[in-house]
Amino acid sequence: MRRYTGAPDKRGIGHIVETSLATPATTTIKPRKAKDGEVNLRPQDALTPADRMEMLRQLYLARYFDVRLIKEKKRGRLRGTLYSSHNQEGVIVGSLFALQPQDWISPIHRDMPAFFMKDLKSGWNNPQRMGMSVEAVCAQVWGKADSPGRARDNWSHIGSRAKRIIHSTSMLAGTIPVAAGVAYADRLNGGNAVVVTYNGEGSTAQGVFHEAVNFAAVHKLPVVTIIENNHWAYGTPTRLEYPLEDFAERAKGYGIPGYIADGQDVFEVYDQVSRAVQHAREGNGPSIVECKTFRAYGHGDHDDDRAAKYRPTDVVESGRSRDPLGVCKATLVEMGLLSQADADRYKAENKAAGDVTDDDFPKEIVDYLKIGVEFAINSPLPEANEGGMWVFREGK
Amino acid sequence: MSAVGVTPTAVKKNYLTALKEAIFEEMARNPNLVCLGEDIGILGGAFGVTEGLLAEYGTGRVVDMPISEAAIIGAAVGLALNGKAVMAEMQFIDFISCGFDQIVNNLATFHYRTAGEVNMPVVIRGPAGAYGGGALYHSQMNESWFCNSPGIKVICPSTPYDAKGLMKAALRNPDPVLIYEVKELYRRRDLEEVLPVEDYVVPIGKASIRREGTDLTLISYGQTIYHCLTVAEQLAQEGYSVEVIDLRTLVPLDEDAIVESVKKTNRALVVNEAPRTCGFAGEVVARINELAFEHLDAPVLRVTRLDTPVPWAKPLEMFVLPSVESIRATALRLLKF
Repeated sequence: MRRYTGAPDKRGIGHIVETSLATPATTTIKPRKAKDGEVNLRPQDALTPADRMEMLRQLYLARYFDVRLIKEKKRGRLRGTLYSSHNQEGVIVGSLFALQPQDWISPIHRDMPAFFMKDLKSGWNNPQRMGMSVEAVCAQVWGKADSPGRARDNWSHIGSRAKRIIHSTSMLAGTIPVAAGVAYADRLNGGNAVVVTYNGEGSTAQGVFHEAVNFAAVHKLPVVTIIENNHWAYGTPTRLEYPLEDFAERAKGYGIPGYIADGQDVFEVYDQVSRAVQHAREGNGPSIVECKTFRAYGHGDHDDDRAAKYRPTDVVESGRSRDPLGVCKATLVEMGLLSQADADRYKAENKAAGDVTDDDFPKEIVDYLKIGVEFAINSPLPEANEGGMWVFREGK
Repeated sequence: MSAVGVTPTAVKKNYLTALKEAIFEEMARNPNLVCLGEDIGILGGAFGVTEGLLAEYGTGRVVDMPISEAAIIGAAVGLALNGKAVMAEMQFIDFISCGFDQIVNNLATFHYRTAGEVNMPVVIRGPAGAYGGGALYHSQMNESWFCNSPGIKVICPSTPYDAKGLMKAALRNPDPVLIYEVKELYRRRDLEEVLPVEDYVVPIGKASIRREGTDLTLISYGQTIYHCLTVAEQLAQEGYSVEVIDLRTLVPLDEDAIVESVKKTNRALVVNEAPRTCGFAGEVVARINELAFEHLDAPVLRVTRLDTPVPWAKPLEMFVLPSVESIRATALRLLKF
């Protein structure tokens, strides 16, 4: 399989790197230091050491949230299906870090942490930041009345106009035209927001994907379509989803850039999403960012034990081996920002959810989520008669 | 031409002009209103409903969309989420099926899903209806799909006055509204009427009694209203007093108007041009049974299209659709029950 990395060329497609067939990206990308006279070769070169350490903290937070939910679900405390983001956190953290507070996002089922991790840069405990509180998101997961949608739809089907998070449905790629509409309205209002949509590679086969990306391209709307390419749409491999080695190639057909990132490398995701966001914010229109990643478990927790039918064990082991936490730490150690001792202190990477404990995470991470979970547990269930409310704003 | 000091003769306007005036007036009234649709700008719409709108309001608010109904509705949802109101045209209402998911799963459920945080002031409108040789894909009345999808108001005006007043009400409504414009009525000369000079709306959810009577209630909407009025006139000559109710709005349904009429006539016949099975006529029959059973002297019947598509050749089309003859025959059956 070919893999693209680095800066986009004239076509908007990055350099080609040959990798082994049929497995996700396995090449570790070494950060390149700027030569004399070269400034900000890559967006990540402008990150401060504090920024990079913050991204590591956010990876821990996303992982801990997912692990905690997996455990709660196994104990039978949560309704519905958990779509684990385990091993895909680099895409969430790297992309969100590339945004400004005024930007919009549309997370989908596997992006549950994104709802409370949006705009974390503005302060984890800052109620004014443009993301949901961890309490609100936990209340949603627990199906309680204090969730943003009062638990009317499940899991990731929440959003917030105030926090600029688009509400999704189960119909995949269906938020891309909504993102285009949000961007169009923002343009009419004289705003400079970028709208980032998250999609699995499987959803790209939907007709609405084409309709929406085409519309956004025609009007040069600032819509960044992130493809979280985890190589299986539920149980169907990419070779049965689209006839390309790299989905981002399809961007050419829309006359827009297609960027490709190693989704396991949070800094490279940051690079490519930053480029796409800059392209959009400068008025040049939409783009596609394909982040190659690998989901640790089945499609949902209901099919974990059937996932071996479509994903051979060795492929799973290989895919999981590049854990975004481990990749990030290795980079930070290599850059001299993190000591090997500190890197080894919290070893949450390369472990199954059932094998990690709270001791594998910094205490601040555990405490942060604890507040959210306690809030959710103490929140009441919605009143039954709410089921008949809010069909219309005016009249019945 | 009018001399100074003499009131000019008021101009009668057709159904299409009434719709057009409503859209132009609401665009002027609400700077946040955006129009999306195929060929609505440069061309002015396939039927000319938006003729001149682009010149008046520019490409920012009048958007010629690609042939992408799902993107049209999805973009409307996004515009509404970000503070705009939207008029989205389906070039023919038949094509609405291409945007079905975005309407029923996204647009219609938004207010519900967000527990009232976000409302969707989106009007979807387009030419609908048979009797004109439009064949399978330019003749549909598919309103029951959407009446069966909670969260959308559904309207079908039959006069120029109602068309303008309901369009204006819809464009000011905070919820999704779907308007079935009857294209066979767009330019019908005999329906032309003088419209009020002053601003007015026709309230959503209110039926109108098009003809008063005491022996039988005919309940319909859209162009079959005119079949019903003809039947009522014919039956009057035979000594029967027939009431004709134009529902105008299907969701929310004006149950009070229906019940009040049935209390008076004790007999009801529901007529529409959609297919029979799970069509809206069946819903009206069920409501009458639920709300006015004790007032009935006869079963409530329906005259609808056959459970077929709308075929092209004229004898085929007329065979499957309600006619004055079929409505009259069923009405007489009820009157003599």
